[in-house]
Amino acid sequence: MSSANKSISDKTIELTKMVEWFDSDDFTLEAALDKFKQAEKLATDIEKDLLSLKNEIQIVKQKFDNEG
Amino acid sequence: MEKLNTKPVFSVSDFIAVVNQTLEYAYQSVEVEGEVASFKVSHDKFVFFDIKDGNSSIGCFMTVWQLRVPIQDGMKVIVSAVPKLTQWGKFSLTVKSVRPSGEGALKKSFELLKSKLDGEGLFAIERKRQLPTIPKHIAVISSIQAAGYADFIKILNDRWGGISIDVANVQVQGTSAPDQIINAINYFNQQENLPEVIVIIRGGGSADDLAVFNDEPLVRAIASSRIPTLTGIGHETDESLADLVVDIRAVTPSNAAQILVPDKAEIIRAAYSRVNSLLPRISQLINQQKQSIDSLLIKALDSINTAVNDQIQKISNLRGVLAQLDPSVVLARGYALIRGNISIGSVIEVETNKVIINAEVKNVVSK
Repeated sequence: MSSANKSISDKTIELTKMVEWFDSDDFTLEAALDKFKQAEKLATDIEKDLLSLKNEIQIVKQKFDNEG
Repeated sequence: MEKLNTKPVFSVSDFIAVVNQTLEYAYQSVEVEGEVASFKVSHDKFVFFDIKDGNSSIGCFMTVWQLRVPIQDGMKVIVSAVPKLTQWGKFSLTVKSVRPSGEGALKKSFELLKSKLDGEGLFAIERKRQLPTIPKHIAVISSIQAAGYADFIKILNDRWGGISIDVANVQVQGTSAPDQIINAINYFNQQENLPEVIVIIRGGGSADDLAVFNDEPLVRAIASSRIPTLTGIGHETDESLADLVVDIRAVTPSNAAQILVPDKAEIIRAAYSRVNSLLPRISQLINQQKQSIDSLLIKALDSINTAVNDQIQKISNLRGVLAQLDPSVVLARGYALIRGNISIGSVIEVETNKVIINAEVKNVVSK
């Protein structure tokens, strides 16, 4: 995975953990609002990262016929 | 006077050489269609057969390695060949390539090769490898002018980014296509920085066009690729031997892109959906806590009420007892209250419910 993709992957894992926290025994209403804001920001970051990634196409110069 | 003979006199060998030169000049390469007869392989090296129609027949010769698809007697084929007169004066075709002609022959050839390669285990499920979850470097083998290639790239770009795509621009139909694709597979397999997957792409076409992907050396090259392979060839109903031998087969070029990468739009939707699902969760938990607090308050109030009622009851009971002890209540029942010194001759006060009497003590008797 590229660093950008890895970052998206990391953020997705982080978001998953954050969502799981809401169902865990660690959940407290006092911390919930901050956690929710962090999750919201992560979702926005993931969207930005994904939309900014572009593919790079290189046509191989090598000729593939038997004479090439 | 004797007329001079100007016509050249050839030796037999020279004459055959001249005929071959003439044939080569006239027919550098010919394609002849006909039915195969007397097919045989000699010493696992040389292939001999006749190609015939209703009236005529020509002998054909080729090497085993040039025979890339299975043929057998009765099969209709097109041979690409050079006409030649052999040193024994026999006219024949030196075949460069042969391909089945017509739906029946294509199908027969396909089934023969499929059976052979299947017997070798090339299509076995155990050989199949997984593709990387999200590749960062892929190789594509296709014709960059082909609609199928454009479809693949469009869907790939729509779905995901950040991928380095090396494209081998090859012919995907015609006699040189199999070798070009094989060379491209070998090229990618020899790179220092190996792509994570090789994708072979070709749009729809006739059975004859797609027969390229039933070429035995091509199928073997795919099977021996150390890089996992994916095909997106033709339409859903088309099935080639290349499709059977690859690690993953997509039914179309677009489907190949769908298999290769996730859809970023779906991931974005899922991320927001997960975050949005937290709000009702928070509300639910707030309501649960509120209900819990309400319940505790009600319980506390109930406890207070019970304690108060208990006290009220106790006071009420005491008041009852006190009421029973009130002297006026006793007097009301007919009793009298006596005050003073109880001795003969003394005056005592007698209080009843209604009057107070002063009386003299006349007699005192112990009980």
